[in-house]
Amino acid sequence: MYLLEHAMLNLGKNKGRNMLLLGITFAIITAIVVALSIFNATNLVIEETRTSLQSAVRIVPQMQTLGETGGTGGGQMITGQAAQNQATFTAEQFSDFANSDFVLGWDLQDTPRGTDAVFYLVSPLLLSDFEAELREKGLPENYAVRTDEAAFASIVAPVESLQSLAITFLAVVVVLGGVIMALLSVIAIRERKYEIGVLRAMGLKKRKVAFVIWAENVIITGFCFVLGMAAGNFLSQPISDNILAGQILSNADGESTATTLAERLASESADALSTENFSENLQIDILINATTALQILAISLLLASLVGIISVSQITKSEPIKILMERT
Amino acid sequence: MGLELKNVSYSYEGGTERVLRNINAQFESGKIYAIVGESGAGKSTLLSLISGLDTCKEGEVLYNGKSLKTLDRDEYRSQHIGVIFQSFNLLLNSTAVYNITLSMNISGVAATATEKKRLAYELLAKVGIDRETADRKILRLSGGEQQRVGIARALSHNPAVIIADEPTGNLDEITEGEILDIFAKLAHGEGKCVIIVTHSDEVSAAADRVLRLVGGRIL
Repeated sequence: MYLLEHAMLNLGKNKGRNMLLLGITFAIITAIVVALSIFNATNLVIEETRTSLQSAVRIVPQMQTLGETGGTGGGQMITGQAAQNQATFTAEQFSDFANSDFVLGWDLQDTPRGTDAVFYLVSPLLLSDFEAELREKGLPENYAVRTDEAAFASIVAPVESLQSLAITFLAVVVVLGGVIMALLSVIAIRERKYEIGVLRAMGLKKRKVAFVIWAENVIITGFCFVLGMAAGNFLSQPISDNILAGQILSNADGESTATTLAERLASESADALSTENFSENLQIDILINATTALQILAISLLLASLVGIISVSQITKSEPIKILMERT
Repeated sequence: MGLELKNVSYSYEGGTERVLRNINAQFESGKIYAIVGESGAGKSTLLSLISGLDTCKEGEVLYNGKSLKTLDRDEYRSQHIGVIFQSFNLLLNSTAVYNITLSMNISGVAATATEKKRLAYELLAKVGIDRETADRKILRLSGGEQQRVGIARALSHNPAVIIADEPTGNLDEITEGEILDIFAKLAHGEGKCVIIVTHSDEVSAAADRVLRLVGGRIL
């Protein structure tokens, strides 16, 4: 208990040094909050999009000899008129296809090409099983069962870019922040060499000296955690919105030159699979939930502990008399 | 209590010249020992070894028959030894009374926080530090006052051995006499072993035995 009291008293002294440590720790934790909350929110968006969009599939014509390359579908699809020339299925056939354990529900839709259907699978992982079952039910070889990859990609691409930026930023902040904190702490400890020598001369064990230093780091980190969470929570949303807007723009530029049949087909379809304005309306709500908060706390404490260990290891390896003699 | 030096030799790290050569000595409870000698004779080094602040390269320091090499030296310092440093070695940004209570805490003195504080004020009063001075930071105290606080700290956990490096070097004659009275009371009244490194003839005269160090040897 007296060690904690000693750590608290130490924080009250050397205000200049502690304020510097406080400011830098606060900046690092705020950056971690922003990066990690964006990373976790984008993870959630990608997962939800994958579940909702990749579970919805349709039957599309596929010809190896005609048409342009589909790009995202994995095979070659025919486009435009070629697609319209293909035989379509009747409502009864679609109903028969939908009568499957792999299907949760289905929608019949009228399109300019005729009747079309969307099947909602129990899981996106069941796509190949469902296709195999349709083949057994008589689905011709020149038809394939496809998810709406274009819709998925239009949402996920900018989100993935944002996620990638967030994780890179997080890595840089943790590594660089850790190095800066370690350097500052080592310098601060050098200044406190005398104090540590006195404590060791009085018989305070190395691990207890280490505990005092660690406790000081943790108290500073804990204080900065509270401030950093508030600041990060405030900053995450506008930062995410700005980066995402940029990613959507650059994604749209790339896509405009390679429109796929799947996109065109989807744009003609009902709301569930429409890719139109998907990305334009895309917004990620950055909420710092308990898991994210715990992750941030864990990273912060880990940083504080590592920094403490590095600085303490520098000082406690010498005999106390050497530390005191250096000072003298 | 038994404190013994057996064939103790010491040379600084990386150095070949021995600062202490084959020292043999015994220290008993209830006596004052003065270690005298020229500057550089190895007096302070000898005190560092006795107080467990450093370890000897050859020979052994035995406390109650056990080598300091096998004892927990942190515990030895915090429980059995009270060291008064020439350069005080106090926590400069803390008050005098905090320096004493912290020492009590490190030594595990069994008392409440309030009780420890009361004892600390009492100890400080014993060495001539009043309550107002006791509540001041060490930085704001004079050299003499700091020396007194150092003495009070060394006594704070009631150690069996008190080791002092020039304890009266910063004090006037009157205070020096007072401090020597305290040491005499501790040794002859309370049965402590007091080992003092000194240049002072007064201190040497007050000692029960004088050890003279010359060229790293006891004559």
